[in-house]
Amino acid sequence: MKPDVVVVGAGLAGLSAAVRLAEAGASVRVLAKGVGSTHLGAGTIDVLGYDADGGRVDRPLEALGGLPAEHPYGLVGRAGVSAAIEWFKGRIADGPRAPYAYVGDAEQNVLLPTAVGAVAPAGVVPETMVGGDLRGGGRVCVVGFRGLKDFFPALVADNLSRGPDGVTARGVELDLRPEGRADPNALAYARAFDDEGFRAEVVAQLVARVAPDELVAFPAVLGLVSPHEVWAEMEHRFGRAVFEIPTLPPSVPGIRVYTTLAQLLTRAGGRVVLNNVITGAERSGDRVRTLRVRVGLREVTYEPEWVVLATGGFSAGGLALDSSWVTHEVALGLPVAGAPAPGNERFGADYFGGQPMDRVGVRTDHEQRPVGEDGGRVVENVLVAGATLAGAAPWREKSGDGIALATGLRAAELITGDAAGHVGDVATAGA
Amino acid sequence: MTTISTEVLVIGGGATGAGVAWDAALRGFDVILVDRADLAEGTSGRFHGLLHSGGRYVVKDPVAADECVAENPILRRVIPDCIEDTGGLFVTTPEDDPAYGDQFLAGCQRAGLPTEEIGVDDALRMEPRLNPGIKRAFTVPDASIDAWKTVWSLARGAAQHGARVLTYHAVVALHKDGDAVTGARVRDELSGEELDIEAGFTLNASGAWAAQIVKLAGIEGIGVIPGKGIMIAMNHRLVNTVINRCTMPADGDILVPIRTVSVIGTTDMREADPDELPVTQAEVDQMLADGERLVPGLLQARALRVWAGVRPLWQDERSGEQATDTRDVSRTHAVVDHSARDGTRGLLTMSGGKLTTLRLMAQDLVDAMCKQQGEDRPCTTADVRPPGNEDGDLYTLGSRLRRREGTQQQEQLICECELIGRTKLEETMRRRGTQNLDDIRRSLRLGMGPCQGGFCIYRAAGILHGTGRLDGAQATASLTSFLSERWHGMWPILYGDQLRQARLDDWIFQGLLGVQHLPPANGDGRVEAPAQETVA
Repeated sequence: MKPDVVVVGAGLAGLSAAVRLAEAGASVRVLAKGVGSTHLGAGTIDVLGYDADGGRVDRPLEALGGLPAEHPYGLVGRAGVSAAIEWFKGRIADGPRAPYAYVGDAEQNVLLPTAVGAVAPAGVVPETMVGGDLRGGGRVCVVGFRGLKDFFPALVADNLSRGPDGVTARGVELDLRPEGRADPNALAYARAFDDEGFRAEVVAQLVARVAPDELVAFPAVLGLVSPHEVWAEMEHRFGRAVFEIPTLPPSVPGIRVYTTLAQLLTRAGGRVVLNNVITGAERSGDRVRTLRVRVGLREVTYEPEWVVLATGGFSAGGLALDSSWVTHEVALGLPVAGAPAPGNERFGADYFGGQPMDRVGVRTDHEQRPVGEDGGRVVENVLVAGATLAGAAPWREKSGDGIALATGLRAAELITGDAAGHVGDVATAGA
Repeated sequence: MTTISTEVLVIGGGATGAGVAWDAALRGFDVILVDRADLAEGTSGRFHGLLHSGGRYVVKDPVAADECVAENPILRRVIPDCIEDTGGLFVTTPEDDPAYGDQFLAGCQRAGLPTEEIGVDDALRMEPRLNPGIKRAFTVPDASIDAWKTVWSLARGAAQHGARVLTYHAVVALHKDGDAVTGARVRDELSGEELDIEAGFTLNASGAWAAQIVKLAGIEGIGVIPGKGIMIAMNHRLVNTVINRCTMPADGDILVPIRTVSVIGTTDMREADPDELPVTQAEVDQMLADGERLVPGLLQARALRVWAGVRPLWQDERSGEQATDTRDVSRTHAVVDHSARDGTRGLLTMSGGKLTTLRLMAQDLVDAMCKQQGEDRPCTTADVRPPGNEDGDLYTLGSRLRRREGTQQQEQLICECELIGRTKLEETMRRRGTQNLDDIRRSLRLGMGPCQGGFCIYRAAGILHGTGRLDGAQATASLTSFLSERWHGMWPILYGDQLRQARLDDWIFQGLLGVQHLPPANGDGRVEAPAQETVA
């Protein structure tokens, strides 16, 4: 098969690149082993939540300037990040879940509760979550379900009450579960919420238990198919702000993003195919000519003009460290940068501290082509995006979504020729 | 200060101490057992899980071999629920001298250890992952034993016979009256309160910490050498039979299938302090390379966790010539009679030994006490089953799965890896009355599977908080403490799929939940465990 572009990986980076390319008229195929980061994260698009010293970031765009020069945001600059955010909001608003929408921008973070009751900075967030911005304080009734083991309302409430000034919270647990399910997860609850009867039952059990001045927080399960309608109905019934707090995976808000982008891709003529594993590539000169792909027990080949590599980092299997302590880029065997030299410590004893392996990944030039140790481009028609890139510790910085989105889109624009010129490093870009 | 009295004070809540408490309680003594931490938190909970047939010692350490040959069948009889009958193989790898096999056979014959040489083909049929280059193979009745279950069963049995078990109570002083030890002062490690225990007799079963205890009675120079061994748990049962290299005992020469994992062990290094047992990357590399010789491909398998345990090797300055290598110190045990050795009455120390001989060690120690007291109360532990073992059935690997299948339509599964349902978890939390997730881990294996608590520890913290035992600050402290402890056993073996898992867990705990950004717990952030647990 000879599509213009094969995108490897179906996380936020890969899907964004694919939609952008397909909508620009390219023929695109997304090949992925399985679904990616969307199903695991919070469903928010976080640009930067914490700086290198662990300090909380309130104004992410501004704070990008404080990142190290080799951070992946250096590839896209502030303008690239802002444009990516606007693109994303536009595509969601235009997607099959509309009028479900994202709100906020990269100028200013909001502070949202987590499922353990911490408050964490978040960038651009679903409309269904923004009511949880507790910077102004408030009284919150955190609702959970006895049947949902990935969200504990009393724990959230207790920690919230110990946290931000002016916030008091209490937990309420409902013993309501989707019919016939002994052990339903967040996805099962979300499907139940899409059903009017289940919603009515929730409201009936809850309405007398909520005090007049309390906001109402739910686990992020307020509908999979029509989240806007579900959330709006809840706000209407309770007559106050209702908001979602992300649960442990599977992430319902993330799945909404995945299905939206995948459907936009289909609408533009592209396709996502899962259970496709890249097993190798044949080169011709400085280009990858053929991708070998394992599909179940068969092997098929692709001969794309371009490859966008967005397979993720260690958690997604895009990068791997073997037992002889060599780091690999798994799909194409690209050079990996930043790993400690043999004999040096790879990880340290402090779990919450920085680890020498944290920022390992594929280093690229400013056109997102992978480079070798000498800084020279190793292949012309492969562009790298997302968590495969070297230089970030996204789970600690809360930068993974912003990086994925912005570098995914820029990879697409570099291919279509729509990319703005070289943006320079983060410190100066967009200033 | 409160004072409580007992006939027998047992110091140490590992396999030896629990065995001693069980033995003494069965003989009708009034018993108090104290441990500075949780039961089986020291050496017993940090070993490889091998119930020795004796084969490992038949050439090098015949006395230890004889003890194992005698004790292995007894433990199978009295604590079957803690033991899986895996059987064992001794195999001659291409690097080993085949002639050792003849010494091995002769040693087994002398010790009365049933063994049989089988063909290499048969051995490979039994265990297809074994190194196909092996030259000889011998069967032995090795087994695997769950130390936590064993210790809890014995402690609960002792409690049913009236013993009081005080975990998280550290001995801070031994009381003396003239030349006799008359009890101890202990400190509740959770409340900080001290308590005096008057005891007719004190039995020191604190293993590698024995010298620290008797020093409190002014006794110096007892030669307990902390011998560190590291072990690595591999995800999956790479083998279903215990595999030993048929050679003189060395590093990395046993692979033990236990529960859902297999454990490769072990090293043997002299350490100065039994509480300081660092694991280095070099040791891990060596252990993995050793494992690869037994089971080629082990390096590609997934390592779950590494830990170090400390053997209480006994080498008194009065016990004979000094070995320079800790491997050469006998694995047998001895009762140290402090009245004969030091002129101190009312105190006996158990030294040396190993988990396989825990029952015999307990018997010898309590016998020695009875003899000094002029009592004649026979030991019955070879015939009485402690709680949980009544039906006489040996543990089988599928038992949790079988239980789970019976309840899967009714209840939540909290730990998917170790198949722990919510009912069992809540029941254990109630029974143990603990605030500490690590205590729950040791009781149930919660968080010990491939994801190392990636999902279940959040849930367990939420459930524990929901039982009303923890407030938000305590739940936070318990959670962060568990995560730090887990990391401690993970970072030296992080590669391959386990690194992938660890990164996913980082995303969840540090990214999605932001655990590190929770308001700090009160004061020193210490996780408190219960003042007094209900063991019965």
